[in-house]
Amino acid sequence: MNVYRWADIHVGLTHSFEAMFTEKMVSDFAEISGDINPLHVNGEYAASVGYPAPVLFGLMTSSLYSRLVGVYLPGKFGLLQGIDLDFNAPCFVREVLTVKGEVVYMTEAYQRFEVKASIRKADGKLVSKATIRIGFHGG
Amino acid sequence: MSSEDLLLGLQEIFRDVLDQGDLVLTLHSNAENVPDWDSLAHVNLITAIEKRYKVKFALGELQDLKNVGDMIELLQSKLAAK
Repeated sequence: MNVYRWADIHVGLTHSFEAMFTEKMVSDFAEISGDINPLHVNGEYAASVGYPAPVLFGLMTSSLYSRLVGVYLPGKFGLLQGIDLDFNAPCFVREVLTVKGEVVYMTEAYQRFEVKASIRKADGKLVSKATIRIGFHGG
Repeated sequence: MSSEDLLLGLQEIFRDVLDQGDLVLTLHSNAENVPDWDSLAHVNLITAIEKRYKVKFALGELQDLKNVGDMIELLQSKLAAK
């Protein structure tokens, strides 16, 4: 886990990591969120509407942005204050996803910065993109 | 840039950031009389103002602002110095 403070942050600072979701994670997320829409939890239904498998919950894959902030950018002392999010393509269980974030703006007066982030598949296809507003906690 | 133009520009920013499409901003508007202008919203407002007018604020410049009129004065001084 990174331990960046404000002084360590600069425009252009970038971090990335890979992640993958399993069937159990999907069922856990359905239980946590209460979203039992069949597109996400029923393979037969997903196939009937043209998808090769149940579509991963967008907000589950987007939880990787939480990891980006809490572990990498800035890590331990981060405080996620806001996020603008767009979904671009469906993705599925066991696909390798790459999460990348880059610092693009710094609000000096309040020591808050913005990260442009994306989640992409192995072939580069964009799954989602986000603008994340991040502050610090713990002095 | 005139005070009137800046007030209109700030009103547009406030409406967007605070999600209040019919908000009418005046020189006397402040965190006490504008709904939802809390500390986190304030940071969002300052960031949006910086980006729109391509200026940067220091914390010391912002601490003494009492209302939107003060912000407009500060913005005018920043823009004049560019």
